[in-house]
This record gives sequence, structure tokens and C-alpha cells, in this order.
Amino acid sequence: MIEATGLTKTYEGKVAVDGISFTVRPGAVTGFLGPNGAGKSTTMRMIVGLDRPTAGSVTVNGRRYAEHRAPLGEVGALLDAKAVHGGRSAKAHLLALAATHGIDPRRVTTVMEETGLLPVAHKRAGTFSLGMGQRLGIAAALLGDPRTLILDEPVNGLDPEGVVWVRNLLRGLAAQGRTVLLSSHLMSEMALTADHLIVLGRGRVLADAPVAEVVERARTRVVRVRTPMAQELASALRALPGVEVAPTGPDLLDVTGAEAPEIAQVATGAGVVLHELAPVQVSLEDAYMQLTATEVEYRSGSPDPVGDRTSPTSRTTRTTGGAR
Amino acid sequence: MTTFATLADLPARATPVAQPVTFPRLVAAEWIKLRTLRSTWWSLLVGVAFLPAFAAMRFSSISAVPEAVGSPYLVGAVYVTSGVALTQLVFCTLGVLSIAGEYGTGQIRSTLTAAPRRLPALWAKLFVTVAVVMVASLLGVALAWAAGTPWFERTGMSIDLTRADDLRILLGVPLYLGAATALAFGIGAIVRSSAAGIATVLGLLLVLENGLGAVPWKPLQTFASFLPASAGNRLLQSDAVGSVITTSSTTTLSPWEGYGVMLAWVAVVLVAASVLLRRRDA
Repeated sequence: MIEATGLTKTYEGKVAVDGISFTVRPGAVTGFLGPNGAGKSTTMRMIVGLDRPTAGSVTVNGRRYAEHRAPLGEVGALLDAKAVHGGRSAKAHLLALAATHGIDPRRVTTVMEETGLLPVAHKRAGTFSLGMGQRLGIAAALLGDPRTLILDEPVNGLDPEGVVWVRNLLRGLAAQGRTVLLSSHLMSEMALTADHLIVLGRGRVLADAPVAEVVERARTRVVRVRTPMAQELASALRALPGVEVAPTGPDLLDVTGAEAPEIAQVATGAGVVLHELAPVQVSLEDAYMQLTATEVEYRSGSPDPVGDRTSPTSRTTRTTGGAR
Repeated sequence: MTTFATLADLPARATPVAQPVTFPRLVAAEWIKLRTLRSTWWSLLVGVAFLPAFAAMRFSSISAVPEAVGSPYLVGAVYVTSGVALTQLVFCTLGVLSIAGEYGTGQIRSTLTAAPRRLPALWAKLFVTVAVVMVASLLGVALAWAAGTPWFERTGMSIDLTRADDLRILLGVPLYLGAATALAFGIGAIVRSSAAGIATVLGLLLVLENGLGAVPWKPLQTFASFLPASAGNRLLQSDAVGSVITTSSTTTLSPWEGYGVMLAWVAVVLVAASVLLRRRDA
């Protein structure tokens, strides 16, 4: 259980996290979603006390993280794959972490086995690929058998097999009743892994709801119509109240505000032949883009030095501030 | 808010995997961290080796000057410990690296996540680093003594631990090097960068202290004698011989007063480091 109240972080006058409040509940995977610079990592760093909040507070299992006597037993955190001295072996890194909490060295072997690190146990961490670094970070997070897990972009750099492994691992941990907070910019990954979403944009919570609800709420019900008589159908549909028609090709229309049966009715009335009539599936990604669209438009006016990137899997024409 | 019941599904354990963080556990962790880096062992090896190497060098060169025998400047303990001037540079580098290296690599985020109260982790690391340096220094002194022994007869020098000065100078080596390492550690914790930390410490020891001490203006030389290394190495000086570490020769401090001044510097730097560690984002 993670509870944030009015959590705020300002860096030299720039607001990174803007008074957000949210609760991450046990027994589910909660996805932390938002464009880069939205405040996900900063929020996660504040949860484990690496960054001090400018205002507000955040507790884990009822207490501030630093107030727990055995913090690694409460929270396992993977904040970045490079939180390790490159000159030390993976095993030595984990043994040192284990020693701080009196964790049995056999537990180190167990988590290394679980994360597939045994073959490279004695290799220096500085020689690891990003994917191996992520596995080491996950092993460190699991070390104290924590009730809460916080992982910042854990699938970054993992091969497809590793991605599936992380997904199953997190779902399994949540099924055991643990609290799992996961950030990712891969919407498709969130759709498969998360039960609940907290969408951040420009340091504020844009949505906090079950995944299905976020998609449902953002659904605009677009129906794609293919017809050789596009113009006739467009003018017939535009006569209806609340219906918008956008031609997307010589014989293609995107219709908003009318359901497929209604469109078919109008087409029959106007003597228009339809070749295709398909409600467009709204993906989580589309829903996300719509949620953050206003934030992005608002943002584009102000200079924002925080690097941002459009999701590489983006299928919509809307940009998330890619022009900046 | 009432869903903790779901935690009952967690596999029941007689004892939790993670026990409370205690200072001895943090010390154990820092010891693992220090000994699992190759750079630690290289630094210790080189630092320790300088002591017998320099002792042998100075004894052999003075033994080539038979007419010097009997001079009050030939103090066995001073000749045995003459390598300290170089050893301190190596151990100070180790002191800076042990903390600043964590910032350079990102390890500090793991360290502070495991010990979110922060200060106990800092003190544990300081304790381990200084203790290791002091043990290594003591070993180095023993080796240097052994290395110098073959020349004792020829040069008329000797070491006798029942002589207060000899004991002070020999035990002064681990004390002085421990304090110098702690100072470097504090500076490393403040600047949080290996390069900047090493540059600052070497600049202080080699340039500032020597530079000020060399300016022929008495008030400045007196001030320089209160700088950490100049003051602290009074512990290693025989009253017959000046400092082997800095050019400072104008001092009113007794050996233990000088060491006290050095420890005061160390305390100031460490307090600054601890305040900053608590305040700054990691």
C-alpha cells in the first residue's frame, strides 16, 4: 500500500510533481503511465526517500519509507539499472545489500536463480548489458521479500523472453497480495501487465482508474466507413445532430457521434452502397494519447527542457509534443 | 484501506527475510563492498609497499655517508616512517573513492535505499575505510621497521618502543593516515565526484599546505602550520628533525596538540558532509 498526499517536487523553481495524491493498493499491478518528464521517476524516488518532497508526503504500508526498521522488507525498488558499482560482481553487490538487513546469503542465491543471474554471478556488473543490469536490479528489489515493489521501466532493454518473464513475475507477486507499482512508456506492455492505471502528465494525475475504465472513458466511438459514394454519405450524415465526418481517403470516412447501425440506416435511406462499416477499436495507447493530448497542447507553449519522446509504437497521428 | 487481509495470502514465514537495519549490519555490508573492489586491494598494496620501500631507500642512502653517524638528525623512527608522505596520497585517494565512487557509479542509490536514514550508512563506511587503512598502515610500519633493521648498526640508528618518541612516531603512522583518510572521505562525500575529490585533497596536501608553508612570511607559515596535514604530522616528527610531509617548520604545536588540530579539521569536514548528505537528493 502506497499513499501519496499532495506530493510535490520542485527543482530550482520548476515543478516536476505538482501536488499529486494517489493510493496504490495491494493485490494488483498498478501502472504508472505518462510521457517522459511527467514526474513518474521523481515520484518513485520520493517514495523511497532518495528525493525529499518539496511539499506533501508519501507513505508505504502506513509509514514514511525511512521510518521502517527493515526498509528492504517493505519495499523493493528498481529505479534504474545502473544503481550498482561497475567494479563489483553481481553476487558481491547483492551480498552487501543483504548484509544491511541480515538477509541469509542463501537468499541471494535464490534471487539470482530466479532472475537468471547465476551464470554471471561472478562477472563484474560494469560488463553487463542493459538487460542483465535490469535483471540485477530486479534481483536486488526481490532480495528482502518485500510487500511492495516499485519498478521504473523494468522491461527496458530486456529481450522478448525477459519481457514475458517480468510480466509473469509481477502478476504473480500481485496475486500473492503484494503491492506492485510499475512505470512504463510502453502502453501495450501496460495493457498486458497492469490492472489499474495512474496516468501522469506534467506532474499531475490525469487519470486514476482500472485499465478498462481508462480505455472506456476515452473512447470516442469512431466508425470507419468505406463507400464509393463518400460525398453523398458525408452530407447525409452531417445532417444528423452531433455527428462529425472526417474524410480519410477517396472512399474512406471516419464518423464520430453515430453508431454503425445508425450509419447503415442513413446509407440505405440515401441509396449509398457501403463496402465496409467498422467500429474502430480504441487501444490503450489511443486512450492514453487522448488523455495526455490536452496536457501536451498546454505544454507546447512553454519551454520545457525535460527531454520528451513520442512513443515509438504510436499509431495515431496526434503527436505528444514531438515538435519540441 | 482495509485490504491488508489480502496479505494473508503471502507465504507465511517464521522469520521475515529482512531483519532490521543495525549499525553492525551496515558495517558488515560496507566491509563486503570495500573488499569486493579490486581498486581497494591495489591501493592498499601500493600504500603499504611505499613504507618499507622508502625506509630501505633512505637508510641505504644515509649509510653511504659514514660521517653522518652520530648526528642528532639520524632518528631511526623518522627514517622508518619516511614513506608516509607518499602513502598518504594513496590512502587519501582510497578515502575519496570509497564514497565518491558510489556517486559516480549510481551505487549510492542502492546504498541509501537500503539505509534510508543515510547517516548510519555514512558512518559505517567511514569506520570501515579508516579501520582498514589503519590496519594496513600498522602493517606497513612493521614492514618498514623490518626493512630498516639491516642498516641500524651501520648508521647508529635504532628503534626502541620504550622510548616515548619512538612509540609516538610509529603508532602515529596509523593515527595520522587514518585521520588523513577520514578527511579525504569527508571531502569526497561533499563533492560527490571522484575526480573533483582527489583533485581537492591532493591540492590541499601537496599545493596549499606546502605552498603556504614555503612563503617566507612568518604569519602565513604559522597559519599553514594549523592546516590539517601540517598540524597532524607533528605526531610523526622528532623534535630533532622537521617535518617529512610538508615544508612547514614554524609550529608552536606539540605533537598531540597538532594531531588534535587535525582531528578538529576532520570533524568539521565530516559534519559538513553529514549535513549535506541529509539535505541533498541522492
